Amino acid sequence: MRRHLAAALLWAALTAAGLWAARVDLLPLAAAREAAIIDEAFRLLLRLSVPVFAFVLAVLIYSLVRFRVRGEPREEGPPLFGRGIVPWVWLGVTSALAVYVIFNPGLRGLAELRANPTADLVVQVEGSRWQWKISYPQYDMTVREVVLPVGRRVRFDVTATDVLHSFWIPAFRVKIDAVPGMTTRVFVTPTVAGSYEDSYHLRLQCAELCGLGHNLMASPVRVVDAGGFEAWVARGKSR
Amino acid sequence: MTDDSMQSGPFGALLPVVRGLIVGVIGFLLGGGATVGAATLLGRSAWPAEAAISIGYLFGLTGWLLGVGVWDAWARGWFGLPLRREEVHGWPRYFRFTTDHKVIGVQYLVTFVALFLLAGLFAMLMRVELAAPGRTIMTAARYTHVMSMHGIIMIAVAVAAIIGGLGNYAVPLLIGADDMAFPRLNALSYWLVPPVAVLLVSTFFAGGFDTGWTAYPPLSEVNATGQVLFNLAVITFGLSSILGGVNFLVTIGRLRAPGMTWGRLPVFVWSVFAASLISLTATQFLAAGLVMILLDRIAGMAFFSALRGGAPLLYQHVFWFYSHPAVYIMILPGFGIALEVLTHFSRKPLYAYRWVVGGFLGIVALSFVVWAHHLYTSGMAEYLHGPFMATTELISIPTGLIFLAALGTLWMGKLWLRTPMLFALGFLFNFLIGGVTGIFNADVPTDLHLQDTYFVVGHFHYTIMGGMIFALFAGIYYWFPKITGRLYDEGLGRLHFWWMFITYNTTFIPMFWLGMFGMNRRIADYPPALGPVNLFISVSAFLLGASFLVFVFNMVHSWRRGPQAAANPWRARTLEWQVPSPPPEGNFPSPPQVTGHPYDYGVPGAVHAVVAVAGAAGPGAPVEG
Ligand code: HEM
Ligand SMILES: [Cu+2]
Ligand SMILES: [Cu+2]
Repeated sequence: MRRHLAAALLWAALTAAGLWAARVDLLPLAAAREAAIIDEAFRLLLRLSVPVFAFVLAVLIYSLVRFRVRGEPREEGPPLFGRGIVPWVWLGVTSALAVYVIFNPGLRGLAELRANPTADLVVQVEGSRWQWKISYPQYDMTVREVVLPVGRRVRFDVTATDVLHSFWIPAFRVKIDAVPGMTTRVFVTPTVAGSYEDSYHLRLQCAELCGLGHNLMASPVRVVDAGGFEAWVARGKSR
Repeated sequence: MTDDSMQSGPFGALLPVVRGLIVGVIGFLLGGGATVGAATLLGRSAWPAEAAISIGYLFGLTGWLLGVGVWDAWARGWFGLPLRREEVHGWPRYFRFTTDHKVIGVQYLVTFVALFLLAGLFAMLMRVELAAPGRTIMTAARYTHVMSMHGIIMIAVAVAAIIGGLGNYAVPLLIGADDMAFPRLNALSYWLVPPVAVLLVSTFFAGGFDTGWTAYPPLSEVNATGQVLFNLAVITFGLSSILGGVNFLVTIGRLRAPGMTWGRLPVFVWSVFAASLISLTATQFLAAGLVMILLDRIAGMAFFSALRGGAPLLYQHVFWFYSHPAVYIMILPGFGIALEVLTHFSRKPLYAYRWVVGGFLGIVALSFVVWAHHLYTSGMAEYLHGPFMATTELISIPTGLIFLAALGTLWMGKLWLRTPMLFALGFLFNFLIGGVTGIFNADVPTDLHLQDTYFVVGHFHYTIMGGMIFALFAGIYYWFPKITGRLYDEGLGRLHFWWMFITYNTTFIPMFWLGMFGMNRRIADYPPALGPVNLFISVSAFLLGASFLVFVFNMVHSWRRGPQAAANPWRARTLEWQVPSPPPEGNFPSPPQVTGHPYDYGVPGAVHAVVAVAGAAGPGAPVEG
């Protein structure tokens, strides 16, 4: 019993330390509604994994300290076969955790991300080795950078002409492959104005190996306010 | 390495290999020539290089196998000719088509440790390139090729080093058998490996291949001819893996010693059994996918070419239908070794043995229904995300049982911290990180961001390298005295462990952060802001690479000059330790009689088996070391 108590205290201490450390924000600029959902899922998973991690670590450390024998052990340990209740409890707890994680953040986050399949603005993105072509069909414009109005829901229709590419904007946290012969879709609502010059996370990066120029296949992303966006469209039209 | 009788000198020892090479080259030229001839007759104008390579390779492979020993030891019988068998002793055995499972085990082990070191060298080259932003030592094209070579060789190591090496060596001994069920098939599985290595190295002369180890089309259908060599190599390797799987299943099913019931099977044997179930049933899918790519390339078909009406996504499903289960081919035997070692070195019964076996089988079953978690961002149908996320998260339940067993075994044990035990404990720690980060990849919302970033690179290195490779080292140190009859140097073993454990973690932990922070994978260059962390990783990686020098030195030196090992230096209860080190050919003079569980430490009067061997130590006999 004393042993269990000591190990449990170690577990509690490690968990507390872990939860404290997990408050450090490791995530980059989050500039979209989707990024907030995904970051929340990330933080939840992080918090849930701390006690699990700490449990294994606590038993490991405690055993190493308490049960270590210097030199060759002459005795054998007590024959614990694990035929009693313990494995059932373990099975119950781990199953409950696994099922919980499926629902939250899994299915819940997924539902939030997919909730609203309507868009104010459609942007067509076409990958070909090794650049992105970005078109705004509503304005009949084709450009080399992604410019978006803050607060408007955007749908990206993504495709490719040659091999697989992948559409990824780290600051938005969303990714979808560009597949030749198919159009894939992703919805984003930008929430923060900014540009690639301020943060390299505002870039449209190819994330699927596509050959020689793969790492260079990136386009700048700029999020502007509504007025700025209209002005940008007008400038593009007049050119 | 005793060289008691070498009838023919070093050249004679290599004769079969030379003969295989010559017949192989002749076969290649015949097959390739016939293809070119046929194409000319059919009036094809284009030079059918890739078709000639592929068909030439089929003939060349056949020629190599016949020349290296299949003809003498096997095929002559099909024509009513007497088989030719020669008695070879000492090191030349390792260069022969030999059927002794212990020789084949060592062949596998040495070959794959060498391949591991080669692929590690490629990793060092990558880390030099990535040490600073911008170009350092190679072009992006060369980087991608080196990265792809590193990946595929390491995957081969992960699939075959434990099963082929330690599995072949230890499984027949552990179950009290005299050999594998199909000894010649076993030799064949091994001799299929050299052509794989030759093909992969040849890609350097055929334009390389730039598709990673995954070979996704359409890229793999439009790139250099190196891709064809890659596909042929992996198909050949798959064949070897399937044959190995059959052999283990039949061996474990049919050749157990009297009294060795399924409920008394050592846990490593169970893990090899579970992994073999997967290699036998899943590998075909990978081979089929790669053959379809070849057909698209050389025969004008259009399985995966979107521009000609094919479906690129189809390949990803087929590929991962094999390759997800395949990660369990890699890790299950790792679990087996870790638990085996933890039990003997805690001097306690394996905790929750039956739950572990259930966990293994649960993992096998679930592993077939999770593949599409690699496709969350691929553009597959939306409704598939939820179900595949659910199955994937569920796999943590049987995996959790492995941890229960490990912790339950340690608890109140008498822990003996020798090198194998240190590596088994390192395995637990690393695999825990691999498993926990796996949850982030399994969860659709977080994976949308993390997929194809360095987070994934960190995750799979934690499972494969931190898990499987640490287990491999645990197993190598554990069975070294049995295999070589000598003791390794304990001080160097511990030095290797601590050096590798620390630098391993400092190398791979920062990768999780890099991935979250916007560094996608498979790139030769990255945003300059990520430079300092990458430099840190590279320096750690070089230190990590250096740790293997300690290992190699220890192995080579101890094999030649280490002190003689007793039959049972660990006082372990399983059967392989009840025969001399190294065990004689045929293992047991008469089949052992198994009477109890292999792990009944602390149970008064418990006996695992009665083994009739003169001069071997039984449990509890005095030991050295
Ligand atoms: C010496 C330690 C090692 C270092 C420094 C290292 C480093 C790397 C790096 C930098 C990459 C490129 C990641 C990417 O861009 O996707 C990589 C890929 C990879 N590594 Fe390692 N690695 C090491 C050991 C291993 C081991 C032991 C294994 C498996 C047994 C392994 C398996 C792989 C695989 C499968 C890939 C993926 C290749 C692909 O994307 O096609 N590595 N490694
Ligand atoms: Cu790309
Ligand atoms: Cu998988």
